[in-house]
Amino acid sequence: MVRKFCLALAVAASALAISASAWADITILVPSGSEGDGLRAAAADYAKMKNTKVETVQAPYANVFEQGANAGATKSGVFDIILMDDPWIPFFAENGHLEDLTSYFKGAGVEGPDNDFLSKSLAICRNPYNSGPYVCLPYVGNAQMFFYDAAKFKEAGVESPKTWDDVLKAAKTLTEQGGGRYFGYVFRGGQGNPVVADFMPIFWSHGADMFNADRTKVTIDTPEGAAAMKVFMALRDVSPKGVESYNANEVGTALAAGTAASSINWPNWVATFEDPSQSKMVGKISYSPIPAGTKPGSSEIGHWTMGIMAASKNKQEAFDFMMWATTAEQIKISAERGNPPVRTSVFTDAELTKQEQFRHYPVLMEAIQASTPRPRHPKWPEIENAFGIELSKAVAGTISPEEALKNSQAAVEQITGLK
Amino acid sequence: MLKSDKGTMPKSLRPGGGLEHWTERHLRYLMLAPTVLILLALTIFPSVYMFYAAVHRISPNPDLPWEFVGIGNFARLLTDAQFHVALRNTAVFTIAAVTLEFLLGLGLALLLDRFIRRLGFLKTMLMIPMMLPPIAVAITWKLIYEPQFGVLNEIMFLLGLPVQAWAGDVNLAMFSIIVADVWQWTPFIFLLMLAGLASLPVEPYEAAALDGASSWRQFWDLTLPFLKPVIAIALLLRVMDALRLFDLVFILTGGGPADRTKVLSLYIYQVAYRFADPGYAAAMSLFVLFVTIVLSTWFMKRMRLAE
Amino acid sequence: MATIRTRSRIRELLLRLSAYLAILVALILTLFPVYWIAANSFKFDIDIFAVPPEWVPRNPTLKHYDEAFVQRPFLRYALNSFLVAVGTTAISVTFGTMAGYALARFSYPWQWRKQISFWILSTRMMPPIVSIIPLYLFFNYFDMLNTKSALVIAYTAFNLPFATWMMKSYFQDLPVELEEAAIVDGDTRWGAFLHVALPLARPGLAATAIFCLIISWNEFLLSLVITLTEQSQTLPIGIAGRVTQYSTYWGEISAAGFMACVPIVIFAFIVQKHLVRGLSLGAVKG
Repeated sequence: MVRKFCLALAVAASALAISASAWADITILVPSGSEGDGLRAAAADYAKMKNTKVETVQAPYANVFEQGANAGATKSGVFDIILMDDPWIPFFAENGHLEDLTSYFKGAGVEGPDNDFLSKSLAICRNPYNSGPYVCLPYVGNAQMFFYDAAKFKEAGVESPKTWDDVLKAAKTLTEQGGGRYFGYVFRGGQGNPVVADFMPIFWSHGADMFNADRTKVTIDTPEGAAAMKVFMALRDVSPKGVESYNANEVGTALAAGTAASSINWPNWVATFEDPSQSKMVGKISYSPIPAGTKPGSSEIGHWTMGIMAASKNKQEAFDFMMWATTAEQIKISAERGNPPVRTSVFTDAELTKQEQFRHYPVLMEAIQASTPRPRHPKWPEIENAFGIELSKAVAGTISPEEALKNSQAAVEQITGLK
Repeated sequence: MLKSDKGTMPKSLRPGGGLEHWTERHLRYLMLAPTVLILLALTIFPSVYMFYAAVHRISPNPDLPWEFVGIGNFARLLTDAQFHVALRNTAVFTIAAVTLEFLLGLGLALLLDRFIRRLGFLKTMLMIPMMLPPIAVAITWKLIYEPQFGVLNEIMFLLGLPVQAWAGDVNLAMFSIIVADVWQWTPFIFLLMLAGLASLPVEPYEAAALDGASSWRQFWDLTLPFLKPVIAIALLLRVMDALRLFDLVFILTGGGPADRTKVLSLYIYQVAYRFADPGYAAAMSLFVLFVTIVLSTWFMKRMRLAE
Repeated sequence: MATIRTRSRIRELLLRLSAYLAILVALILTLFPVYWIAANSFKFDIDIFAVPPEWVPRNPTLKHYDEAFVQRPFLRYALNSFLVAVGTTAISVTFGTMAGYALARFSYPWQWRKQISFWILSTRMMPPIVSIIPLYLFFNYFDMLNTKSALVIAYTAFNLPFATWMMKSYFQDLPVELEEAAIVDGDTRWGAFLHVALPLARPGLAATAIFCLIISWNEFLLSLVITLTEQSQTLPIGIAGRVTQYSTYWGEISAAGFMACVPIVIFAFIVQKHLVRGLSLGAVKG
């Protein structure tokens, strides 16, 4: 028995010895979704072309942030580039984890990124927003869109929904007719990021915002906020039971399976809706920018951006790769691999837009240009958590919408120290 | 202590080489040494780090020095409402889940022991849930609980019962988490109980049968006392694991709805990684560690398990 | 008299029937979710969400197996998981057995035995979430991030206490006389352990090994932070990676989850006899 164990031990030990890693010239941290797959493929192309070694580290979406934060806080140089979800930018930038790109642009003989990038895509890459130095470059251009079943909406008497009132009117009729099996609207009600992500567009389209313009005051509990909350609660009443645990996936599935008529979601779902092995609604889902409230509609921007880690030992190589990966040519390839672009020339590329799977590009570009970033604050994850708890309580009905606004106001004031 | 140790052994050693003799004399330390050294090496740094971190405010910015805050982080535990919510949820979960797992596991083991002794493969089948990766279990239960397409609501519908939102319902979310955990870990208790039952001595039962004791009395007076040590170990291990439940909540509910399933591990995780406040997270962890140690010491004393 | 006997026979029969029924229900409840994972892994995405559900896949497909094991490196993840699980189990069981034996048989000065036993158990009580940061620093310092050895070391930290305790209680249950006899016959103390105690403890070893194997095969949190690429990432990380920001790949997750339990179930069937017997002697008395 002991001999057997020793043998197993020896086998295991030798197998482990072989695994000792030979590290790469550039290492990139990406999430394991389609956006990470896209950059990973690009990195492989680059490695082949330049004859260098580019390693891509893929972490589950929920954990990319802590991988990056761990590396940043311990000054570990494991990653040279990190592909970030845009709300993380203030955290990484203001805690010294990200490299200021200004000098690298200078070294390359340019002022900054060219004008072909959408202005909103570039604005989020600067910290502070739209005014500070560049700390990253945009790679995947996402913004929420409004998806709906046009035929069902027409049945319910709404030709093309322009405002939240239109949506509410159609959704109410559809849910009433649905008899508990079909619903007019569905949204992400899961506590935390999901419920906040689906509330913010409604919040903004009623003229509300989390902070005032110069960020000296929290402005959640305002008449505008209350108006948005009222619409949100009305939408909840026509949504299926159980949205309290929904995330993007459940919402998308409800539309793809034809059990709900409309929702806010990310453009990645276009491909799924049009795939017969995943959808019963091929060709039946329409999309538009976010409907208007009392103010024009605005969706939440959700870009994936590349930044250089401050502890990286290969910064120039990393910058060269980032410049290469965000050229118009590469962004187009990235679009063909299924990730929305960040450049006007690619959005309007006739070769792409004439294809069925890219027909939403004009709408998406419009949505990005009308989008709003999540409130830019290095403590955003904590703010989002606190706000998410109160919204979740409101959706679940354990507190009143008014209380939710009041509590959120107090919680965010406490976290940010603004009073 | 065993008599063999001091009585028969040391002098009966054969004369061997010096090294062999030395090895033999120090065997009690040599056999223990690798484990103690490995565990020391692996836990000393994390423990010291945890104590050190717990009395500091640690900025995620590596260029800022750690700020000493004394017992500040521990004082926060008293006023942090989210921590209290998490504490209560963890207590509810641990008590409910472990109790259910224990009752079901013991009941099932008694049934199998009495009626189906031979079918080993049946026992292995009943063990399968605990062999699945918890992350896959969590994702599968999410699919089962799904309010619109989930198979559970379909079954409710077929049985003529009202459909529910399960993990999405404020009042059922914790229950849903408990059910999934009970499903995965009842087999663990079941297996330990089955093993305990298999090793029961026969004589006391024969005597009891002669005295005309009912099976209920036999269970109460003989089986339970005999099983006490194995019950104690099983409960101890389960409680230790239940206190750090993470995967199920992370995947199924994210702590919602309305904070009803936010458990300590999830909150510590959020504080440490999302809110980048490892000092406070360390303080909370120390608190959890302290509670675990106090609970298990008390429990082991009661069950006389230490010896 | 006769009627009483018949009545008690009927009672016994009813009891037996209801027992079988209860076991059957337990079996169905236990196996249904496992069946559901398996069934979903053979369905197209759209059929996973069919209303009413497809109890049996109507258009079975191997699409998800192809996606997971051919297009994505799940085979690689499985191999990593396997190496790590075997390595951890080998180390934990070897050293845990020795330590367990020592704690069961030897005396130590100043009550050490009790203290050390409890200390060993208490190392398993540390909340893993917070030991992640120091372990990350630790492995980063030794340049061991993203290696399978780092995983083995980390997993040993919580499997070793478990193995020690299981084996300790197991040896405590074994009669000491056999070892004494061997020593009287001229065997050394170590020899008595190796040639007498260890063979008797075989079932306990099997039981301990399978628990270590299950725990390290399925571990998630530590692997998440220590591993970076498919060179060392394990199955649970691969599975979690299919829950992306925008959508969840149920089919692939089901395929990988189902395949993940196969090796352990096979192993459990192989050691099944040892397992129940092993536990019935060990772990029973504390």
